[in-house]
Amino acid sequence: MTLILDILTTAAILFVIATGLLTIFGVLKIINFAHGAWLTIGAYCAVAVGQLGWSPWLAFPVAFVVGAVLGGLTERFIVRPLYARPLDAILATWGLGIVVGQLITLGFGRDVQFTAPLLPGTADILGTSYSIYRLFALGAAIVIGLGFSWLMEGTRLGLSARAVIMNEALAHVLGLDTRRIRWVTFMIGCGLAGLAGVLLTPLTSVDPNMGLAWLVGSFMLVMVAGQSFAALALACLLLGGAQVLVSTFLSPILGGITVAVLAAIILRISPKGFSRV
Amino acid sequence: MSDTTLDSAGPARPGPLWRLGALAIAAAAMMILAPLFLDRFTVNVLTRSMIFAILAVTVDLLWGFTGILTFGQAAFFGAGAYATAMVLTHMGSGPGLMALGLLLSILVPVALAAAVGWLTFYPGSSDFYATVISLVVPIVVTQLIYSGGTWTGSSSGLVGYFGLDLSLGGFFRLAGLCLVAVVFAALVFVRSDAGRVLTAIRNNETRCAYLGINTQAVKIALTTVLAGVTGIAGFLYANASGVVAPENTGFVFGTQLVVWTALGGRGTIIGPALGAVAIDYLSAQLSGQLPFLWQLVVGLMFVVMIIFMPNGLAALVTGWRRVRKGPAAAAPALVPIARRARGPASDAPLLQIERLEKAYGSHKVLEDITLTVRPGELVSLVGPNGAGKTTLMRCMTDGQAASGGTVRVNGESITGLVPNRIVARGIGRKFQVASVFESLTVAECLRMARAAHERPSFTRRRDTLALPQPAIEILRLTGLDRQLGAEVSLLSHGQKQSLELAMVVALEPALILLDEPTAGLTKAERTTIGTVLQTLTSELGLAAILVEHDLDFVRDISSRIVVLHQGRLVLDGTVEEVVNDDIVKRIYSGGDHG
Repeated sequence: MTLILDILTTAAILFVIATGLLTIFGVLKIINFAHGAWLTIGAYCAVAVGQLGWSPWLAFPVAFVVGAVLGGLTERFIVRPLYARPLDAILATWGLGIVVGQLITLGFGRDVQFTAPLLPGTADILGTSYSIYRLFALGAAIVIGLGFSWLMEGTRLGLSARAVIMNEALAHVLGLDTRRIRWVTFMIGCGLAGLAGVLLTPLTSVDPNMGLAWLVGSFMLVMVAGQSFAALALACLLLGGAQVLVSTFLSPILGGITVAVLAAIILRISPKGFSRV
Repeated sequence: MSDTTLDSAGPARPGPLWRLGALAIAAAAMMILAPLFLDRFTVNVLTRSMIFAILAVTVDLLWGFTGILTFGQAAFFGAGAYATAMVLTHMGSGPGLMALGLLLSILVPVALAAAVGWLTFYPGSSDFYATVISLVVPIVVTQLIYSGGTWTGSSSGLVGYFGLDLSLGGFFRLAGLCLVAVVFAALVFVRSDAGRVLTAIRNNETRCAYLGINTQAVKIALTTVLAGVTGIAGFLYANASGVVAPENTGFVFGTQLVVWTALGGRGTIIGPALGAVAIDYLSAQLSGQLPFLWQLVVGLMFVVMIIFMPNGLAALVTGWRRVRKGPAAAAPALVPIARRARGPASDAPLLQIERLEKAYGSHKVLEDITLTVRPGELVSLVGPNGAGKTTLMRCMTDGQAASGGTVRVNGESITGLVPNRIVARGIGRKFQVASVFESLTVAECLRMARAAHERPSFTRRRDTLALPQPAIEILRLTGLDRQLGAEVSLLSHGQKQSLELAMVVALEPALILLDEPTAGLTKAERTTIGTVLQTLTSELGLAAILVEHDLDFVRDISSRIVVLHQGRLVLDGTVEEVVNDDIVKRIYSGGDHG
């Protein structure tokens, strides 16, 4: 039972973290290598909220807004000139990640920070006691997943975004403001990364380089998932599940590379990954 | 991948080899003398910086020249360093074991890189995938080292083994001489005819494949050889520093290498080497006083550089040189070569297509196409937009494109073959939009077309360009023979079309496929191309298939016309038969859309 819950919650956490990256990759065809830095920003928003003495729950909206605003600036000044050079965009956003990491170090110091636990304790599920917070993360992943399907399927912005995903040139000719769609998408993606950062705080230590460890994993998941959220959920479940199994039964160190290795193999066999799901 | 901004990259001018050699000797002399004038700290730091500079040069060859963005060099470096350190730690350090360490520090990365290269570069692999793998490899290697227990020293690394018995100055000289040697070899290579293949792949990999060059094999070979060089750097590092740690293999170090390369100036060899030395040295100097601020400045510079100056600081220098010297490079002299004797022609027709089909899901783009072409024929393929003409061309040159039926060349099926293998069987293809190499010169483009026939030199740039007579003829007729040294990006649209045609003809194909070769050309240019095609087919016995919209042009030069409509072959006959046919009139007057 614990194993099943571990798999589900690990997949959920991976999903929440990768969503922001997928949003941006799907619409902009750009890999945002500053994604790890935005996770860190979100986590430090939680730290700041704690230091100000506010309710820890406020960290979620704060991190979303801060992430989105900074993301908006990033798109305008760094990503926009690089749409024709996707590999350079990877590098520029990576450089931005370095800058953000150093700024956070200058502001908060390089030491590990702690935040107040949001939901301490355990709950009994079918006779197994399990961390409430990890269950909350599972709920959050489901909410974000459903919320996104609604956003993409049920709103005008989603319709425009899907048009851009399918055929950007045509969308532009049809009068859609593709530049604005990209901008908004990038903001949402960065906002989500901030949210994910807050969600991570009780699970991992908070330090200026914390985002790095999550960046590569989510990058791999997004490459496998292509452009679809359903495929991302599937990839998180399968690869996250494999990670939990390997960590539990073989070795935690091998577990750490499971996602990356499996993703590489899947892409070699089927270059489109799970995107046809 | 578009990289027009990189056009100014590349080893702009052919420098005489001896001048480069003299510079290398001067640099080597400096390396030998330098430790006498520098303090201990500087010697120590610069030794490390110069070893890292070797890595930056390999990153530049992969990324700056060939367009493969890689973070994986750190893994090969770490593998080499660990191979050495593990031999020295666990087996001891006699001269024989030192030699074993050196050997393993080359072989282990080479074997790893060969496997990684095979995994990464397969027909149809994407640029992103190469980057993905280059991230996975360092992560895997690092984790293996963490889980290696006492064998690898786990997280604390290996320390306390006895390396080469050299003084600080001695290591400085060794590292410096290795760096000079690597930079010299890299510069000679990228200026050679073979080195230009890398730029050609970065510019236009598809065209390379359709010139018969096995680009995947080139990339795998390059990755493997450079991993060996990287491994030697790892050997030097393990000896000079006396410690190896998991950080040396990680992808963060891999990204640092890319940062140095970018700041120094990708595609220049010297730039990345100097960039690596300068930044690593400054980092060591400044990290004591303002550690985070310095990293911040490097990060900011990197971002600004990528956006506004993708060619790095070196672009300032080369840009200035270009203005001073003018863009035209020295042009080689044209030499005609004898026609290649083809093997005894088999009885089978040159091209035989049977019941070919191409479908996307349930939507059939081509259906039941059967067509035979013999030497000397000039077949025109006509039909309205969307009839499937370009798709049919693709099925003839890419064995994985068709979804049913067979295409035979000289009686042998091409099903499953990749384009460069099909080109080797005598099919040349000219694309609809001129597909050439924007940052090469006209002569270099033509040389690429011959690369699959005669292995280009790895050390020098030939001053003659041997081409088949018909290709030279095209160059003369279009005036391109006077512009052999000009960069392709400066040519007009029509000139690029003619250049591509000359490149395809230089392949000496038995069958030549042309997709709208006259689109957008002037009347005079059209006539020239028409004449060339007629000469090629009627006098030299080539076969040609031509996709064309201009019916007057088609009528003038074709020996046969094939009409394609809604994915089906509706008519196959002589010019007279087709032009007077009712179906054709209906299709072209737009009345047959029911």
